[in-house]
Amino acid sequence: MNTRMTAHSAHPVRLVVEDDYRRSRVTVFFRLLLAIPHLIWFFLWSIFAVIVAIINWVATLILGRPPAWIHRFLCAFVRYSVHLSAYFGLAANPYPGFLGEAGEYPIDVDLPEEPQAQSRWKTLLRPLLVIPALLLGGVLGGSIGVPAAGLIMNRGHRSRSGRFEGGGGLGGGVLAGICAILGWFAALVTGRMPKGLRDASTYGIGYGAQVRAYTLLLTDVYPNSDPTTILETVEPPAAHPVHVVGDAHDLRRSRLTVFFRLLFAIPHFVWLYLWGYVLVLVAIFNWFATVIMGRSPRWCHRFISRYVRYQFHVYAFVSLAANPFPGFTGAPGTYPLDLELPADPQRQSRVKTFFRVFLAVPAFLVSFGVEVALFTAAFLTWFVSLMRGSAPWGMRNLMAYALRYLAQTNAYLFLLTDRYPNASPLEGEATPAE
Amino acid sequence: VSFRRSALLVAFAAGWGVAAWLLWRSSLPAYRLQHLSETALFPARVLASAQHYSSVARLFWLGATLTQLAVLGVYARYGVRWMRESAAGPVGTGMLLGMIGFALVWAAQLPFAVLAVWWRRHNGLDGSYVQATVGDWLLLGAQFVALCIALAVVMNLARVRWIGDRWWLPAAPVFVGITTLLAFVAPWLLGGSPLRAPYVSQLERIEHVHVPVRVISGFGEPNAFATGLGPSRRVFLWQPILERPFTAREDRFVLAHELGHLAHDHIWKSVAWYALLAFPLAYLLARVARRRGGMGMPEAVPLVILAYVVLQLVFLPLRNAVSRHMEAEADWSALRATHDPAAGGALFRLFVAETKDDPSPPWWDYVFLENHPTLLQRIEMTRYWEDYAAAQSP
Repeated sequence: MNTRMTAHSAHPVRLVVEDDYRRSRVTVFFRLLLAIPHLIWFFLWSIFAVIVAIINWVATLILGRPPAWIHRFLCAFVRYSVHLSAYFGLAANPYPGFLGEAGEYPIDVDLPEEPQAQSRWKTLLRPLLVIPALLLGGVLGGSIGVPAAGLIMNRGHRSRSGRFEGGGGLGGGVLAGICAILGWFAALVTGRMPKGLRDASTYGIGYGAQVRAYTLLLTDVYPNSDPTTILETVEPPAAHPVHVVGDAHDLRRSRLTVFFRLLFAIPHFVWLYLWGYVLVLVAIFNWFATVIMGRSPRWCHRFISRYVRYQFHVYAFVSLAANPFPGFTGAPGTYPLDLELPADPQRQSRVKTFFRVFLAVPAFLVSFGVEVALFTAAFLTWFVSLMRGSAPWGMRNLMAYALRYLAQTNAYLFLLTDRYPNASPLEGEATPAE
Repeated sequence: VSFRRSALLVAFAAGWGVAAWLLWRSSLPAYRLQHLSETALFPARVLASAQHYSSVARLFWLGATLTQLAVLGVYARYGVRWMRESAAGPVGTGMLLGMIGFALVWAAQLPFAVLAVWWRRHNGLDGSYVQATVGDWLLLGAQFVALCIALAVVMNLARVRWIGDRWWLPAAPVFVGITTLLAFVAPWLLGGSPLRAPYVSQLERIEHVHVPVRVISGFGEPNAFATGLGPSRRVFLWQPILERPFTAREDRFVLAHELGHLAHDHIWKSVAWYALLAFPLAYLLARVARRRGGMGMPEAVPLVILAYVVLQLVFLPLRNAVSRHMEAEADWSALRATHDPAAGGALFRLFVAETKDDPSPPWWDYVFLENHPTLLQRIEMTRYWEDYAAAQSP
């Protein structure tokens, strides 16, 4: 089986990542305050950008392509929003410039240099077509830059704090927001941004850039949420013992089972629920045994592995990341999107095991962001699959990432491995030593 | 072998007949109801409205049933195509095929469900489009769970080498056990608030049944039912039956009827009838499944579902006859407990106006759809009791 998600097709909006993970503790500590001038400048710039975007929309409808000066202005705006998002979300270290100049920031974006001819129909319908992308962009983060769209998406919803929040406003997004908060603590302590968090945040920024470029008519290529495409300039992380295997190109979906997917999954939910009760007992026993012996009993390892894999199969089925109805046993090699787990119990640090629940808290937080992304992607995929009979490539790979991270978190919590979950959307690559 | 098999069949049929006879016995006298004219009992407008409503509702049922059979017929022929959508092994694949079959039936019947709601509302009855669509969708999920449990039981039994095609022998008792358990547990899940009326304890004393009587709200129609086994026995009244135009006397009659069910062990008898029908039903399904390699093979599931639905229709007249018999006994019990045939008669007349139930439906409706005696028969029963009581008094 093909285990790797390979880039499907190049997108005209391409993220360029040259960040070295190093962070200045001082600027990290004061990052919010330091960003204030940028936020004010960005706010003023975005008001003007909204007006220009409307003019651009009308002009593109008439001319069939955006006027060159507007294209250049909006490219600079999108690039600036990427720089600011990266700085704000700790995906990059240096203080960004105010003009969105190309090639000057470690997290940059390549945009079409010249205005492209665009379909007038697609342009006319662009405000509607962009809604699903905005929804996903709002979840993944890096959405600074489309304030007007944000207000449309959430109808100007005002939160209890009195701030406007939403997909395209200054809210940032669930996943990137969580990564930024966790990264803030990590960078303060170590002076470096963890690769997983940086990659997840960068992924959100890259997708956000594609959404903005599409919204502002810089390209008519729809945003592609495939992590491999967005992060093609990023080094993959080291291989994780818990990883996904399967045919990434298996996109066919049965419309009938898609339509009734949630109902068909109900027996699995019931079974998962009942199995979960036994799992809790076994997991508690396993924890005591591992703290004492430094290694999980083999039968506990196998039982928990089955559960984690079964849950992965069920979630893959429900979220439409995979097509067929899964079995009820979590047996390896029975599902097209499968989970590879350590075959045997591994020796684990007793101290890490003792504090495992507390150590897993950051992973739980990232899991929450990942789950929201999974839910959103599944919701959107449901409509697309019903119409086309196949899942979108980008969504499928986003969901595979989310499922992989959730499984890694479970495996870590339940002591199947002591390797911390890797938040990077990229699949791990085996080093020669491994 | 043939003689032995025939002897076994005869013995089984004889045992079945004796059991059915024992279950059929009741406290009802050998009665013959005097036929009454419905035009003399009901105002012409009420009668015409009920008959018109019921005639169209019957057509919806007929349409939905024929659609169900047609969909399942096509599915039995082509349903195995969906096996490729499963990675769940034979039993899991069987579950998926079963669920797909039911899902297709649901989708095909949806227009009838919506039409039925429109027709109810058009006639001033309670009906919710949300319930008929989204509510039924959720109900479908519950059906899926039950279906998967059933298929898991029968397919796993059929896959045991030394059981094979004889799976129906152990499967039938398993389903009887599950049904008994559900009948026992369900009353505790229904909630409701206690009914505080002076006649409750009086009727309980007369019927020798002391059980909680509870009122449940959220329904638009007048109704009541008795349920539970042993300590879980309960009577539930739907709120509308305690409201106008129903009077306290009529409510008393309703409660007496429901207590009559419990007094005569009708819930136990229903379970026993279920057990009696489960064996031949499971046997016939096993015979059908053999045509597709046996019940252990997922390919058999679409055909077995069709056979199951057809057999349910075939057994429906018998099940309705049994149910009508029990309802008649409960009516008789209520008449003996209340000595108030006027309240019973008024209650049944009100039902025609409130529920638009045809008091005297055509024969095929009576055979396939009526699990209670017709409202006309129930009124005739109250008249019969008057004569019976007069003859019994010294």
